[in-house]
Amino acid sequence: MAKQDVQKTLAELSRELQESKARLEEAQRVAHVGHWEWDLATDVVVWSDETYRIFGLSPQERPMDLATVHSMVQPEDRELIYRAAEEALQSGNPADIEHRLVRPDGEVRTIHSVGTVKRDSSGRAYEMFGTVQDITERKRSEEALKRSQFYLSEGQRIAHIGSWAFDDSGHYWSDELYKIYGLDPRNGAPTVDEYLALIHPQDRAAMVETIRAMQEEHRGFDQIERIIRPDGQMRYIRAVAVPVMEEGVFKGFIGTTMDVTEQELLTQELRREQAYLAEAQSLSHIGSWATNFHTRQNFHLSDETYRIHGFDPRQGPPGLERFWATLHPQDERLVRETLEEAVRAGMDYDISDFRIRRADDGQIRFLRTIGHRNDMGEIGDYVGITMDITELKRAEEERERLRQLEADLAHINRVNMMGELAAALAHEIRQPIAASITSANACLRWLARDPPDLERARAAASRIEQDGNRAADVISRLRSFYKKGTPPEREIVNLKDIIREMTTLLRKEAIRHSIKIHSELGEDMPDVLADRVQLQQVFMNLMLNAIDAMKEIGGKLTIGSRLASDGQVMVSIGDTGVGLPAENTERIFDAFHTTKPQGTGMGLAITRSIVEAHGGRVWATANAGAGATFHFTLPAKAEEHA
Amino acid sequence: MTSEAFPTVFVVDDDRGMRQAIQDLVESVGLRAESFASAEEFLRKKHNTRPSCLVLDVRLPQMSGLDFQRRLVEKGIEIPVIFITAHGDIPMSVRALKSGAVEFLTKPFRDQDLLDAVQQALQRDRTAHEQQADIRDLQERYRALTAREQEVMTLVVSGMLNKQIASEIGASEATVKVHRGHVMHKMQAASVVDLVRMADKLELSPRK
Repeated sequence: MAKQDVQKTLAELSRELQESKARLEEAQRVAHVGHWEWDLATDVVVWSDETYRIFGLSPQERPMDLATVHSMVQPEDRELIYRAAEEALQSGNPADIEHRLVRPDGEVRTIHSVGTVKRDSSGRAYEMFGTVQDITERKRSEEALKRSQFYLSEGQRIAHIGSWAFDDSGHYWSDELYKIYGLDPRNGAPTVDEYLALIHPQDRAAMVETIRAMQEEHRGFDQIERIIRPDGQMRYIRAVAVPVMEEGVFKGFIGTTMDVTEQELLTQELRREQAYLAEAQSLSHIGSWATNFHTRQNFHLSDETYRIHGFDPRQGPPGLERFWATLHPQDERLVRETLEEAVRAGMDYDISDFRIRRADDGQIRFLRTIGHRNDMGEIGDYVGITMDITELKRAEEERERLRQLEADLAHINRVNMMGELAAALAHEIRQPIAASITSANACLRWLARDPPDLERARAAASRIEQDGNRAADVISRLRSFYKKGTPPEREIVNLKDIIREMTTLLRKEAIRHSIKIHSELGEDMPDVLADRVQLQQVFMNLMLNAIDAMKEIGGKLTIGSRLASDGQVMVSIGDTGVGLPAENTERIFDAFHTTKPQGTGMGLAITRSIVEAHGGRVWATANAGAGATFHFTLPAKAEEHA
Repeated sequence: MTSEAFPTVFVVDDDRGMRQAIQDLVESVGLRAESFASAEEFLRKKHNTRPSCLVLDVRLPQMSGLDFQRRLVEKGIEIPVIFITAHGDIPMSVRALKSGAVEFLTKPFRDQDLLDAVQQALQRDRTAHEQQADIRDLQERYRALTAREQEVMTLVVSGMLNKQIASEIGASEATVKVHRGHVMHKMQAASVVDLVRMADKLELSPRK
């Protein structure tokens, strides 16, 4: 071979070698993998360019030896490297470790290093050869994934949310989901039948339908259902499932399940409380509300508030203007002014009695409303209550009317007592008059004696004077009693009202004697102008007379009223009792005329004087059947004015 | 008979004026009068004055006039009563008269009506007094008879003949005659008819 050829061949070989070495370096650079050689005899280390780069140095910047390598490894990992190397030398297996290094600029990198031991034909190890790979980025993303998985499961645990997925590759349940259902994760996700067995019997049918819709229609859901855990505990869960579609193709479901027992129980408690509150409001006719009087907006009206005003709850809170519109015209100014003044001053208010025309049925209702400024809210924010006091007022009026009636009755009794009193007084007057007449007779007899006994006559005359004064005293006492009675007061009186009152008052008395009270009142009877109390007494006297007449046998008391031909109002009170005396029917109205053992003979006399004082007439007629009827007339009110 | 010289009228009326007037009126015609304010006051007094009568107000406090009348009868006080009243009715007066009242007057009354009633009452009391004195006299005579004489008298007034009486009492007809003579004498009877009348007054029950 020619020397030239050899040289040429050598040059070519050298070039090829250089090229091959360059390709290796290039490959190492692209793959981020470097290599190293460690001469066991000399401890000289040879690194590839990429290895220098991985260690944060310029390629071939300086020669390497074991001590330099040693100094660049993270101190905590140095021991690890020696041990791995020794093991590899002894066992002959490759060393394969991950360790950290510290670059000259201080950056820590994680590398994966693999080394094999080279041996000569006698089996003596003379060199280790290996590769290094920078795995810092891979390590970081691995850790990040681990962390995020930890966070996820921790989040599920804290929030009581489990998740699941269901697709071709299988059925996945998160740890928390097992915990929610009280299942052991080691047994794996339950089958459909196992799952249904966990559902509360009352919710099971709905769940069967849900699963059917999932399977057949790929429909997701969001529902609350009850489960019974294997330990017997009942829990409320909210389950959400979403179908997974990829390019229009159904792939499966993913979903979350949340234990909402605490929320659900709270919600139920809240609903119950609300129901109680609504019930209490409805019972007490008290509604509550929250309003801003500046923005004229009602934030909240309780159902009872809607009802009180006659608004439809389904239409939501109406504006303030609609409230104003329901106010009774006569009360509108009072309410608006009180309220506006309170709002301007930022004060609480209490409007205790006003009327509205209810929006739905137009009924007039009496309300009371109390507003408290809401200190925490905006300007003009008020919360308050509104009460329907209509029934309360009616009851109050009824009480007042009864009280008035009782007072009237007490007065009637007093007036009635005057009859008794007159009889008692008659006795008291009769006594001194009788005494003085007797004394006068005695006096005359003393004078008629022969000779006249003047001394005795004078004594008799002085007794006459005393007795005369005594009689006068009685009469003045009587007059002062009459003065105490109310002076006659004429007012417009509705006869029907009086008849109703008297019937009410005497009903018990009538029932006790088996007497029925029957009214035949004419339609459109005009009112009369009369002293109400006196008129009540007339009815009282005549009705009591009628009851007296039927005391022993029972019977029927008939009160009739009609318009007489002369335009006067005529009232008739009939009984089915013992009837009138055969003779002197007119005399029954005389004072002290009585046919009753306990009678004073004043009742009818007083009746007549009252009726005649009112410009009417009173008389009695015998009934065709049993009993008597007493009639009286009174001028109608219109006639009085004419 | 000193009391006969002073017939007395008692007045019971709670009204002082009335009481004084009646007493004065009674005295003006020369009669004695005593007045009392109450029934109790009157009942406390001893009653031996004859003849007398009582003018009584029906409407007394505490005790009604009619109750008072009943009390008098119970206490054995026999005195004619004249009722006066300021407020009487017919049933009340009927009851009063039935129970022995002399008169029932309504205040004010005519003075003469009261005085007439008083005279009538006193007369009635006088008569009653005399009758009572008669009976007392007869009773004394009757008590003076021996038991056998009383027995004979009873048989005589029942209309028995001497012979029948003798067989009845187991004695001789002559003995009966002697007893009979004593009875007629002691009783001061003029005839058998007289004796029968006396037996009547003494209320002897004749032998059947």
